[in-house]
Amino acid sequence: MVKNMAKNNQRSHKAQVVLERFEKKLNRQIVGSLVACVHCGNCTDCCHYVLANPGDTSFAPAYKADQIRKIFKRHFDWTGRVFPWWVKARSVYTDEDLETLQDIVFGKCTNCRRCSVNCPMGVDYATFNRMARGLLVSVGIMPEGVAVVSKDQWEIGNQMGVLKEDYIETLEWLSEELEMEMNDPEAVIPIDKEDADIIYTINPREIKYDPRTISDAARIFYQARENWTMPSEGWDMTNFGLFSGDDDLGGAVARRVYEATRKLRAKKLVMSECGHGYRSTRCEGPNWAKDDIEFEMESSVITMLDYVKSGRIKVDKSKNDSSYTFHDSCNNARSCGLFEEPRELLQIVVGDFREMYPNRCENYCCTGGGGAMSMSEYSARRLKSAQIKAEQLKATGAKYVVTSCHNCVDGLTDLIKHYKLDMKVTQLVNLVANALVEERRGVPVPEVPVEVKPAISLSGKKILVTDDEPDFLTFLTAVLEDNGASVLTATSGDEAIKLARVEKPDLITLDLHMPGKSGIETFEILRKNDDTSSIPVCVITGKPEMRKLIYDRAVIPPEGYVDKPVDEEGILVNVRKTLEVVHKS
Amino acid sequence: MGDELRIGQKVIRLLNSDITDTDIECFVYYARSDLKLWAGFGGGIAVRGGPQIQKDLDALAPIGPCEAVITDAGELKAKYIIHANGPKFQEEDAENKLKATILNSLKLADEKGIKQVALPAMGTGFYGIPLDTSADVCLNTVKDYLQNDTGIEEIVFCAIDSREYIPFKTQLDKMG
Repeated sequence: MVKNMAKNNQRSHKAQVVLERFEKKLNRQIVGSLVACVHCGNCTDCCHYVLANPGDTSFAPAYKADQIRKIFKRHFDWTGRVFPWWVKARSVYTDEDLETLQDIVFGKCTNCRRCSVNCPMGVDYATFNRMARGLLVSVGIMPEGVAVVSKDQWEIGNQMGVLKEDYIETLEWLSEELEMEMNDPEAVIPIDKEDADIIYTINPREIKYDPRTISDAARIFYQARENWTMPSEGWDMTNFGLFSGDDDLGGAVARRVYEATRKLRAKKLVMSECGHGYRSTRCEGPNWAKDDIEFEMESSVITMLDYVKSGRIKVDKSKNDSSYTFHDSCNNARSCGLFEEPRELLQIVVGDFREMYPNRCENYCCTGGGGAMSMSEYSARRLKSAQIKAEQLKATGAKYVVTSCHNCVDGLTDLIKHYKLDMKVTQLVNLVANALVEERRGVPVPEVPVEVKPAISLSGKKILVTDDEPDFLTFLTAVLEDNGASVLTATSGDEAIKLARVEKPDLITLDLHMPGKSGIETFEILRKNDDTSSIPVCVITGKPEMRKLIYDRAVIPPEGYVDKPVDEEGILVNVRKTLEVVHKS
Repeated sequence: MGDELRIGQKVIRLLNSDITDTDIECFVYYARSDLKLWAGFGGGIAVRGGPQIQKDLDALAPIGPCEAVITDAGELKAKYIIHANGPKFQEEDAENKLKATILNSLKLADEKGIKQVALPAMGTGFYGIPLDTSADVCLNTVKDYLQNDTGIEEIVFCAIDSREYIPFKTQLDKMG
């Protein structure tokens, strides 16, 4: 049964609102792209979706564009009003029409702009695809993951819903570790310090799943003797408005970052390695927020490169002794022109750099861009389209792919697992920190006893380990027991649920991919059961199903996450962090 | 300290604050009809307040347009949460529905004997009601309500950033 069926040319309320807003979005750039296409087909070979689905024309950029273009023709272009049958003009009438459009604009394009830069007519399909996303979002038609992330960023202030206390506690934890490692009370992560030369803003993924990138950045700032700070508010420089097409969200998020910079009177706003965050904050944000920015903004890639070139930090490339290639983030390379500096820095900190082909503006999307990582309903389609990227990576023969984007880190990690490539993903901040030649301070460190909290002990902690792989179960058990924990083991979801109810462990580690009841089902049952709902869970998985738990929020997401393969240090860091955050809160 | 408008012995106040982490007797959460605490402030309620709140809501769901229900606030600083199903995404007759949602929430608070209620910038942001519209409807509705027979003594609007705060302050100044 079709809902809101159009009768006698009647439209559903949502379809009517979409058409009314469409008109308001028509600026010269959008109209130029909507009228200029000559269907030459040049874009077809540029799109990773087409290359991975050669028999399916519905992935062709020109076809996808036509699904938006025909609405424009029908209502806003004289040709469509006079000869609708000739120019294939067609309106939208029902909510189902809008849902069909949703599948195209969210599920068949990552807004990577590879077709845009290759169009001889200058058609920027990605720009009006984003506009179409915004029209649908304004009437509530969007993938569930997009809704979750957008609402988190609107209301909590960051796109992963990290609460302020968790953000501050994680920074304090990382700061204590740095202080202990450097044995220097000045080796800290300053929060809300006024009049700093640099205010450092990050992707919330770093707080939640990859805190090592923050501590690596902190080590670099420390070695460079930088006068820096991180803000307690306005710290998320990512911006889901770029992906959802919601310019109001884009403006609200950017304004929070700019206001934090002004409030603390910082001289320069530096963004960690994140492609869409860089584009949103530095390039698009001032327009969305209608704000004339008086301070300097730059990517941390530029900051790190300046440190090396000016001698503020010294690096030894022999410390990064594997082989490395570089993947260009679409937003950095195609939309912001940031592609030479990361290569220059990379070649300073590694010995064996292997270029990827094609590269720079012509590089292929990681397939996780445009918010694709949050749309779990399209995971299979995304991973299939990643075939071209997988072939590109494999051809380099490198053991590491380096990228300056957190979305790309996740997208590449998923496709590397899916296509079973012998390769890992890393970022420049990790490589620069690893290559640091750590110099002693000119002034001897005073012998002042520093109150440093020891890493949380696992002694006395009861941990339930759930995994169906016997070898991994044995390894994990040994690591945790060697560090004082009392370990229970389960090899299935049912067994884990039963043991958790009876034993009430302090922590559950959970594999997601298990025969029988999956890890996701198990997790949801644990969360919904009174006896187990408050037990912290650390997911350990090599599968992309994790995205569903993060973004399709049926229950509170897991407290910890470890990506397989994982070593002893990785397990202990994440287990301790999970326990510490829960303990503190 | 925020801006305020006195109405006899009662007061409307503006705060820059996360409503789920505000020291208040009761606050309003802009809920869905299925009453799922899923993202945004809902995530804040679920994480900070504990799992019992969602369990209480599951027993009350679903609710109709403009309706409101009340639960305890678990481990939050507040004692109660009113979950109000306001208009979303440019739906028809949004202003009247917003007003009805606010009134139903305040009536529920009165029935419970609550003296202090916080509201967010109702329906703005994710749900797309323009800020000026929300400020106008919210502040005029609560002002009218406080001028009548009610046990509520204080209504606080919690803005999450300056983007929300400024239009509410502008509207409050107009009414002063």
